[in-house]
Amino acid sequence: MKLLPRFLSDPQTKKKFARFRAIKRGYYSFLVLAGLTVLAIVAELLVNNRALVVRYEGEWFFPTYGAIHTGKEFGLDYAYEVNYRDLDARFKADGGRNRVVLPPVPYSPLENCYVGETFRPRPPDWSKGHYFGTDQINRDILARLLYGFRNALLFSSGFFAMTYLLGIVFGCLMGYFGGTFDLIMQRVIEVWSNIPFLFVVIFVASILTPNLGLLLVIVGLFSWMSMTQYMRTSTYREKSRDYVHAAEVLGASTGRIIFNHILPNVLSTVVTFIPFTVAGAISALTSLDFLGFGLPPPTPSCGELLRQGTANLNAPWIVISAFTALVLVLSLVTFVGEAVRDAFDPKKFTTYQ
Amino acid sequence: MISSRRSPFAGFATLMSLAAALVLTGCGKKDAAPAPAGATTSASSTFPGMEADLAATMKAQSDFYRTAPLSAIPADLKWETGAELPEFSDPNAKEGGTFRYYIADFPRTLRTIGPDATGGIRPYLLDFVAINLVHAHPNVANAAFPGLAREWAADPKTKTVYFRLDPDARFADGKPVTTADIVFSFYFFRSPHLRQPWYNDFYTKTFSSITVYDAYTVAYTLADWKPDAVLRAGADNSIYPRHFFSEFGPDWLDKYQWRAAPLTGAYELTDANVEKGRSITLTAVKNWWARDKKFWRHRYNPARYRFDVIREPDKIFEAFTRGDLDLFRLDQPKFWYESLPDSHPLVASGYITKTKFFNRIPRPSYGLWINRTKPALDNRDIREGLHFATNFDLVCSQYFRGDARRLDGQSDGYTDWDVGPGIRARPFDPVKARALFSRAGYTEQGPDGILRNAAGQRLSFTITTGDQTLRDPLSIIQQEALKAGVEYKLEVLDRTTGFKKVQEKNHEIGLVALASSVEVYPRYWETYHGSNAYEDAYLRPDGSFTDKASEGTPNPAPKKIRVQTNNMTETFVPEMDRLIESYDRAETFAAMKPLSARIEELIQNDAAWVNGWQLPFHRAGYWRYVKWPATYNVAHSRYPDEFFLHWIDQDEKKAVEDARRSGRTFPAQILTFDQFKK
Repeated sequence: MKLLPRFLSDPQTKKKFARFRAIKRGYYSFLVLAGLTVLAIVAELLVNNRALVVRYEGEWFFPTYGAIHTGKEFGLDYAYEVNYRDLDARFKADGGRNRVVLPPVPYSPLENCYVGETFRPRPPDWSKGHYFGTDQINRDILARLLYGFRNALLFSSGFFAMTYLLGIVFGCLMGYFGGTFDLIMQRVIEVWSNIPFLFVVIFVASILTPNLGLLLVIVGLFSWMSMTQYMRTSTYREKSRDYVHAAEVLGASTGRIIFNHILPNVLSTVVTFIPFTVAGAISALTSLDFLGFGLPPPTPSCGELLRQGTANLNAPWIVISAFTALVLVLSLVTFVGEAVRDAFDPKKFTTYQ
Repeated sequence: MISSRRSPFAGFATLMSLAAALVLTGCGKKDAAPAPAGATTSASSTFPGMEADLAATMKAQSDFYRTAPLSAIPADLKWETGAELPEFSDPNAKEGGTFRYYIADFPRTLRTIGPDATGGIRPYLLDFVAINLVHAHPNVANAAFPGLAREWAADPKTKTVYFRLDPDARFADGKPVTTADIVFSFYFFRSPHLRQPWYNDFYTKTFSSITVYDAYTVAYTLADWKPDAVLRAGADNSIYPRHFFSEFGPDWLDKYQWRAAPLTGAYELTDANVEKGRSITLTAVKNWWARDKKFWRHRYNPARYRFDVIREPDKIFEAFTRGDLDLFRLDQPKFWYESLPDSHPLVASGYITKTKFFNRIPRPSYGLWINRTKPALDNRDIREGLHFATNFDLVCSQYFRGDARRLDGQSDGYTDWDVGPGIRARPFDPVKARALFSRAGYTEQGPDGILRNAAGQRLSFTITTGDQTLRDPLSIIQQEALKAGVEYKLEVLDRTTGFKKVQEKNHEIGLVALASSVEVYPRYWETYHGSNAYEDAYLRPDGSFTDKASEGTPNPAPKKIRVQTNNMTETFVPEMDRLIESYDRAETFAAMKPLSARIEELIQNDAAWVNGWQLPFHRAGYWRYVKWPATYNVAHSRYPDEFFLHWIDQDEKKAVEDARRSGRTFPAQILTFDQFKK
């Protein structure tokens, strides 16, 4: 479908983007958010217990992605994955030509960072690279936040795709066909919307251990309804326009009329909702993790950290880190959302096609 | 509490709040049992009333409810009174004052029996407080001291225990306790209207009859005779007041939902002392009949026992340090070491005392229950490899900070009972684990660090649990298992769902604990007998199925998995089954102990249960004015206040309050009592 390129190349859309850039708070928030997203995508290069580069006995290794390297490969006595921090220390002590280059934060979100010591929350320690401290089983909080953010982004993109697909398809169909179909669908949606979604999610999650995909499906199934209402009304309005009648007279098929003619004209409504959907998805995932019904342990997430933090008020760095990160991300998303809403305000621009 | 009750996860009692744990201690077996034979099942409209129904039931079940003249009691019985046993309370205890404590949730009912009755308040209404015929001595194994019964006599030949009631015994409303109440209690427990199938089943199977001789003499005949028969008959069964339950019937749940029954213990709960959703206050019974009786005096000292509903452990802790609560359980390492360290101002200044008490009770059987019906897990080498690949040692030493110890075997913690010579948990050892996995064909390590066999199958298993608090220990063993080339996937479910999955044998590996009440000897039938693994475990000569190894030969290819049982490893070892059957038939400790040791050895060799951990103590912090006997507590105590040995020193309380205002301090008190430590 050429819908997106057409939408993007539309001069009106270009104008909207220009307006968006002019709204400074939203624009800079967008840049920061985009930057964070890039960081999250390449998280393994920044926060990871695997080295970026190892040179051992003249051989080069790039362990970040791909298969593990065991201790034996580097002359150690164990068959499991080598501890690169120890390896680094050992090479430095040996003073030879062997080298290890570690990422800026050399910890994974899952590992016990204080081997041989008690499991308890430890405050930030900059000398060790634990910038936000560690959690109750000695895992680096920064690592857990970054990888948790990545999960949240994945979740919200999937959530957005799923709810919008369902919402747009059903909304357009309802608006376009109207009549009995519309009437029945509306009743179905009313009934469906009245199911308390959080309870259903908790119920399902308590029976099955959800992974990201399953959680997405469960949450998504109960969240697409509001979008249909917007799409339905917009489609209703567009349907009575002359250009739709013209297309009908020219013999365009229903699918073509809906997706090629109507949809581009109602898309601007949709775009303004995206950031708020993303914020909603992040909050939903966080609250489920907080309640213990989200992703299975030991998956890193902000909600899980918040939960730990509230149970360990004597270790305030946990709750402060998680809370700050959550507020920061949600504020950025909301600022972007507000800017998009202003830039795409249909009162300022109306497009006919 | 009924001794045979083993329940899921209850063992976490030692880590979680009292309330949450007791919910489970009480919930017992989940399987529905058939209603007792001949019980009336009339609908509400035709129910003739409790007394009429009781009379009809007694008539219909005359082989269970018997009467006989006093002259029918054998003359050669050896009557016991428990007089030779030592008392365990402190004669210096002072009465009076209010003890302020907490419950995590307001109870859903004030009944102590029936649906929803096993909440956090129940022990204080019933189990810790109400008096039964006899009670197990909390420092001496298998010894009874008198409660409602003044004397008792055991007759192993007829499997009967005789009781003579104490004529002083009274319910809280002043009515005397007689055999009529005992008859009612049995009718009550066996009635389908109770809506608690477990009770129906237990009281139908455990007792074969009760015989009433007069208003103060009764005998219980047991279906099986065991060395602890007196306790099983006398200590484990509550007596309910017949007059109070006169409206009992099909609709009794509605009628009695918010009425606390007057029982025989030192405290009562009146309507005025229930603040719905907020607090519950027990008050001392005026002129309590057992106030001066040996074993009961100098206990139950506070005049009022108040419970505030506080849900979050951290909030409970805050309330405690603020001085709103008198005692807080510090079993969790977090509270003992982090929230209330020895250097905490309230501890250092001596206002709050920290006490660690090593008790002697059967430990909840924490561990990995490996379901051998699942692929790869039927291989003993893999199972033994998982023993070496699971780092519970690290959990004990670093997560529980050395406070926890590996369980030696299933029977760890029983008084006067050895698990068996040389039976110990296997230590974490990735090299040994890899050797065993390699013997099972898992020789190659994949790019993800997980071992594979020639067919490319990965050594990956899912661990299921229903206990949210086990997330951290699970995450720890998951990371450690990677060293042995094993992947553990974690599945933390809701409590009921998690246990159900394991009971239906749908798990691969379950992290589950079965808790038992303080009883004298371990049980194996529920967890290890083949008939609890398969419905068609044994074949009689005629080809029909039987549950008993002694009645037939092992079915070479059993198919029908028996669900809803505690054989969560699906163990079916005919030799073990024969031992278990002999063990269950054995009537003396001397006969039982060697059998138990042999069973433990087989369990160890079979390697389907990875020994978990135990916390061999209970810990608490309490304000200085809460006083305890010099020995602090009794061997069989599970909670500090279970036996109500403490008291409030009113003068000291005032002194502490004054001192806090003036800034005066006391010497710090951090106490350890290890007289019962193994």
